Amino acid sequence: MPKRRHEDLSATFPPLKRGHFISIISCLSDELLLHILSFLPINSLIVCQQLSCRFKALAEDSEIWKRHYYNRWIRPRLANMRRTMLSRPEVHYSPKVSTWLDNGHLANDGRTLNWKDQYRLRHNWSRGICRVTTVELSQPSARPALVAFCAGIIFTFDWDCRLRARSIMNSACYLSEISLPENRLHSALPTTLTAMKGPLPNRIEVAVGFEDGYFVSYDFDMVSSPLEFRTSCAGSTSAGITAMASCYPYILLTSDQKLLSLFNIIKGCDARGHLLPGKPVLLSCLEADSTFKPMSISVRSAGSDIISSIVYSFYHVGCGWSLGIQELHFSSTDSRQKDSRLTTTVDSQYGLSPPLGHGYPSKGNAWRETNSKTGSCTRPAEPSIYHREAPTSVSYSHPYLITSHTDNTLTVYLVVSSSAGLYIKGAQRLWGHTSSVSAVQVSDRGKAISVSSRGDEVRVWDLEDLVSAFGKQRVRRHGMSIRVSPGNRQSDNDKPRPNFPESNGLSKSIEVQRHVPDISGCIGFDAQCVLLLRGKEHDGQMLECYDFT
Amino acid sequence: MSAQMLTFLSNDGVEITIARDVAERSVLIKNMLEDLGDTDEAIPIPNVNEAVLRKVIEWCEHHKGDPPSTGDDDDSRRKTTDIDEWDQKFMQVDQEMLFEIILAANYLDIKGLLDVGCKTVANMIKGKSPEEIRKTFNIQNDFTPEEEDQIRRENEWAEDR
Repeated sequence: MPKRRHEDLSATFPPLKRGHFISIISCLSDELLLHILSFLPINSLIVCQQLSCRFKALAEDSEIWKRHYYNRWIRPRLANMRRTMLSRPEVHYSPKVSTWLDNGHLANDGRTLNWKDQYRLRHNWSRGICRVTTVELSQPSARPALVAFCAGIIFTFDWDCRLRARSIMNSACYLSEISLPENRLHSALPTTLTAMKGPLPNRIEVAVGFEDGYFVSYDFDMVSSPLEFRTSCAGSTSAGITAMASCYPYILLTSDQKLLSLFNIIKGCDARGHLLPGKPVLLSCLEADSTFKPMSISVRSAGSDIISSIVYSFYHVGCGWSLGIQELHFSSTDSRQKDSRLTTTVDSQYGLSPPLGHGYPSKGNAWRETNSKTGSCTRPAEPSIYHREAPTSVSYSHPYLITSHTDNTLTVYLVVSSSAGLYIKGAQRLWGHTSSVSAVQVSDRGKAISVSSRGDEVRVWDLEDLVSAFGKQRVRRHGMSIRVSPGNRQSDNDKPRPNFPESNGLSKSIEVQRHVPDISGCIGFDAQCVLLLRGKEHDGQMLECYDFT
Repeated sequence: MSAQMLTFLSNDGVEITIARDVAERSVLIKNMLEDLGDTDEAIPIPNVNEAVLRKVIEWCEHHKGDPPSTGDDDDSRRKTTDIDEWDQKFMQVDQEMLFEIILAANYLDIKGLLDVGCKTVANMIKGKSPEEIRKTFNIQNDFTPEEEDQIRRENEWAEDR
């Protein structure tokens, strides 16, 4: 047994010079030992943690790991940028995380980070290493549940009309549950669920949409963890709510793909952060006549503006299925609509990139498709990206717009929204899946999760590098995605864990037992976990959490 | 520049005379000379004995022409533990001397020598198993088998690099 080895050794080989059993290295100060450790690669640091208590503490030093984190993930990208933009200064390590490209989020919330944990997390993401836990959501033949994910909390609206909150760390039991208000109990069926971060750091707002146009909102406190009823609203139409997006305090919803309404659920809060009661206020309502699924709606706030975006698919005679994107700008102070802009992916699919500041501003308020207005540039005869079939799913998180397709690929676009206009910069096909891609979701940090339900394949994409390479001749197409391979899957699988590298030498794959229902969608993901839903309509649902910590 | 000579006194009472520009590889001495002005007296180095001091001076003599090190957060020096050939030979000493040199370099604030010393130790650690490292440096294992097992499990993620 290896763990007893050191004891046996010291028993059989007592120190040769008994009086001289001093370890000179242990006489060095912590500072000097840290200096020595700072020259070691990761694997030696790990070994040093196994030496003794003192070495363990030293080799776990956050600053050493921070430097490794920087060298492995930040420096290569900075160096890359420097090569392309010669004006960049020399790449040097800076302990100020806010200067690390898009990694400012690691610094700004004031808590001290354990950089070793951060390193491990990022390492696991880059290798697709995770542990999967499964929770059964609904029984076969029961009505499917609605799921939303926000700030590490999973919200489900179950077949028994109760909203439940559970922590992703322990998804088997509920933190809190609440039933619908009396007057809603036996009326219409719920259709959508959305969750957003509230006004205070530990608050989450949840909204449930119904098939009669009603929506109900709840408030969740992560510290004391009760769910509380906030408000309900009849909506702007009696048509069923088909999609919801939220960004506190706004809720954007579409009804039967035709009507888009933006609500402000709260008019403010008092000095102590308590929310003032009030009915949701309808800010705007737009009608559309010809859009097709899939579509994606989102709300974000940018400075003093609230921007709601609608991404929809349409068929273009020249380049097949394309996307249109409309942005509506509202003032956050008086809720007035300031601007409405529209663009499409058509030009990007022809490989054209509009010059900076050249957008397609449209003055009209109506959410109308105007793809006839595209472009003054002359297009090449053949589009470089042609989609014969409609995308299987669309995800937009500014500035990344990504679609999944039945031809095993994904297409990513970069949306540029400036004061001058809205346009789409570059389009890029992503290869990696070996079967039809059924769902994709992207975050604003450029991480995307895509799912092939038939192949039972989940992939993680890092879009940041790709997008910064847009517009250049050499675009890296491979090695940007990693297949997610849960390390503990084999425990419920009798087969030994296959551990063979795929063609690019980066992905690891694993066989999944057959009786599990297909993955039907990606609910969401954050820095630590990915949440997937398995099972369709009436064959029972399972929630899968892939934990990368 | 005049080759001004300075005399130093090791902690075991030996006087060593060296050129000022060599001695100024040590930031401690450089600052001290700036404060003291010119002096003819022997400067005591209380923490360093003759053998180590001679070794340190040997290094400073060889590296006196090196460009001064740039800022203390210069990370390019951390990228590699490669040591140039002369320094490698220079560092072929027993462990006691090696750590004495590191301590002296740290005390006298000679960054280049400190880095070479620490890199030498780092190279002695690299690629070894915990047991081998413990034997090399006489480190006492103060973990219980359970703790050891747990640390191994905690760090499994890094093994398939």
